[in-house]
Amino acid sequence: MAEPADRLIHPELAALLGDRYTEDRFERSFYRRDLASVPPFLGSLVGRTLPAAVARPRTTEEVSAIVRYAHQHRLPVTPRAAATTAYWNAVPMRNGLVVDLNGMRGLVSLDEERLVATVLPGTRWEELGRALERRGYALLSYPTSAPSATVGGWISMEGHGIGSLKFGGVAGQVVRLEVVLADGEIGNVPGTSRVSGTSASGTLPVTRFAAAEGTLGIITRVELIVRRRPGAMGHHLLVFPHMTALQGAAVALAAAAPRPFYAHFVAPAYTEFLRRAGFEPNASGPLLALTYDGEPGEVAAGAENVRREVGRWGGDALPAAVATREWEERFLALRLKRAGPSVLAAESWLPLEEIAGYEADVSALGRQQGLPTATYGTVVAPGLATVMSLYPCDETRVISYLLALSLTKKLYDVSFRHAGRPYGTGVWNTPYLSRSFSGTEAAARRGHKAEMDPLNILNPGKSYAPPPLLRPPLFKTGMEILAGVRRAGRGAL
Amino acid sequence: MSAPYTGLDREALICAHCGYCQAVCPVYDALGWESAGPRGRMTLAAEVARGNPVEAAAARRIYECTLCGACREVCSTRIDTVAAWLDARKRLAAHGALNGLPLGRLRDNLTAVHNVTGDPPRNRLLWQENLDSAGPELNGRNGAEVLYFVGCVTGLYPQGHTIAEATTELLTHAGTDFTTLGGEEWCCGFPYLGLGLPDEAARTAAHNLAAVRALGVTTVVTSCPSCYHMWRHTYPTLLGGSLDVEVLHASEMLARLLAAGDITPAPLDERITYHDPCDLGRNSGVYDAPRQVLAAIPGVELVEMADNRENALCCGGGGNLEAVDPDLSARIAQRRLAQAIETGAGILVTSCQQCKRTLANATRREKVRLKVLDLTEYLWRAWRMTDRE
Repeated sequence: MAEPADRLIHPELAALLGDRYTEDRFERSFYRRDLASVPPFLGSLVGRTLPAAVARPRTTEEVSAIVRYAHQHRLPVTPRAAATTAYWNAVPMRNGLVVDLNGMRGLVSLDEERLVATVLPGTRWEELGRALERRGYALLSYPTSAPSATVGGWISMEGHGIGSLKFGGVAGQVVRLEVVLADGEIGNVPGTSRVSGTSASGTLPVTRFAAAEGTLGIITRVELIVRRRPGAMGHHLLVFPHMTALQGAAVALAAAAPRPFYAHFVAPAYTEFLRRAGFEPNASGPLLALTYDGEPGEVAAGAENVRREVGRWGGDALPAAVATREWEERFLALRLKRAGPSVLAAESWLPLEEIAGYEADVSALGRQQGLPTATYGTVVAPGLATVMSLYPCDETRVISYLLALSLTKKLYDVSFRHAGRPYGTGVWNTPYLSRSFSGTEAAARRGHKAEMDPLNILNPGKSYAPPPLLRPPLFKTGMEILAGVRRAGRGAL
Repeated sequence: MSAPYTGLDREALICAHCGYCQAVCPVYDALGWESAGPRGRMTLAAEVARGNPVEAAAARRIYECTLCGACREVCSTRIDTVAAWLDARKRLAAHGALNGLPLGRLRDNLTAVHNVTGDPPRNRLLWQENLDSAGPELNGRNGAEVLYFVGCVTGLYPQGHTIAEATTELLTHAGTDFTTLGGEEWCCGFPYLGLGLPDEAARTAAHNLAAVRALGVTTVVTSCPSCYHMWRHTYPTLLGGSLDVEVLHASEMLARLLAAGDITPAPLDERITYHDPCDLGRNSGVYDAPRQVLAAIPGVELVEMADNRENALCCGGGGNLEAVDPDLSARIAQRRLAQAIETGAGILVTSCQQCKRTLANATRREKVRLKVLDLTEYLWRAWRMTDRE
């Protein structure tokens, strides 16, 4: 949708990108959201979400030129790829430019000797996995939203998911990041040391950089450790009498050698939710799904561990075909939305030994609130899980939807009580910053941002401080009022 | 597997905006804007469902879709997206949206002469002039067992004529008792559905079914995957009941004839690749029959493309996209062609006259030496070798 150059606000960018740049209002309007469905009036109270322009670079040099231009003109830049989070990490808060990285897509090269893949940031994890598989290689880890989540996006989000239990978080698999820094300079972040390159913007370890949600730089190329395709794979689906038993087995199996490649659990309410959504779950009850991969001996040893812990915790192993089906459905958690048609949710990091207590409290809260809440999660390290709790609602009933929002805050309260914290910050989790990070840690994060991006060009309004409406005293009071109204009006809404 | 379609308003709300669809959409891949991908389209469809007026750009985006079904295949909330796109088009068409799109000629052709090209109905017989072994008695013969439903593109485009010829020759040599509707054949109605005019599609379906029933055939065989999908899956819905005829795609019919030994192809020592047409593969679930046909030709080495079967990339020729934006259709074909070239095959075989057209046109534009043939043409080639021996 090309506009006449004389009517453009930023003709320089149009000259740079041609038809990959737009200021057309129709086109820009699609970049105001991510997975979260936010009533427009609420969105407008929180931020200025309509970008002034959208730019779709194809090369690092183009990203650099765009950011340099933005830096010169003090324009906010919101990096965006698949926008598969629900925290507005990739939604503009101060208008400005959206830099859409989806056009930078593909496996650039594969060093078969070093087992290092060079990948562009807009590459989807699933397509990268397939490309590697065709050549006899495999990813170490990938997100549970792999069909759409991008390499750059997941790295920016402190990515933990499938494979993380065995191989760690994705940041630890990065050999080198190429990033465009806030002044437009192109920097390289080696996986084990510090920022190098021509920028004078500072130094930062890759782990810090990789979890910055696009606020410190725009990832434009990634060198990623890969592995040879595993020779064997074994799936297990276990059902336990209660969540405490499931937790016991999960803790033991996650810590034991060999480490499972994937461990996923669902609470009983999840399977009920699935039925309400019109799908027949593979089994009912607290379920623990495990996958081992590697050499046949490793997979067999994993199976032996599973047999031991199933017996120890009073569980049952379901048939292999059922376990395989559960594995094949690992990207389909959002099917639950058919029970909505909308859902609201809270996703947390949680100590693994807390999942039973957390789930019990969440279930009790759901009953108290009259909102049945489904909990499921992924074990991402020995002793650590990412846990999602979601509940159905209907965004077309705006008042009821707004009141239901209060439950998300209460879910996070439960998470904090169990030593958890929100997964990702973006905008909507900024009210919990002071509870998620220690004062020292928060100060260090803000310090890095101030050092790397003193003009606050990159993804402003995210990660470091809440917008006025979400500041804790106001936010807490508002949520309590909504929860109170909701309790008082249950049945009428 | 999609969940049952519950209506555009609810399905648009169920859409999670997860972007699984965007990753596989050929239109999004070509255009790159959020508005051009399925989740953007669903945002627009929600507006349509609410009855809100939509601007011309929005209507265009809803029609800029090949209806290939790749988005439905991966949808995380199991939305029957193709049903949603057709529903949105129906609602848009009811509000006059077609007048603002380059689709008027297609609609007028369908209305006036019941085909997509605007040719007079008698032109549906032109391809028969090239036949070696069948005569004028081919058409409208009562009592035949099989009706060969030729289709508009096969019957009226020169690039399709050889498909009809090959199909006819193969059926004849296999001893199949078949006939065609000749000039009485109407468009299957799929272009009407794509325009958002299901009532017109139902009228044309009723005509075709009545004509078929009048001949008393037991089986309908189509060259075109869209005709096949209409006859097999959509006609019963449009017409409210079972058709009482078996519907086969040519690839299925030929697989049967090969299995029965009614066709015995000669060896072809060639490396080929196969393109799954969307309406035959993803939208109808027929993946094996064409491969069985190819496997029955001795010496043929089939090299699959990186994306095949349910993951096959679209050729760009479906959903009336060629009428809406021929350049966009061509860009989509170019991407599929690139995958075919990567296989190192010398021949690209497909089971669809429209895929053949779009992909063959792409080879000419790209100046690529890759022959594009329909499955029937390829098998006929092997059969003729046998004859010569």
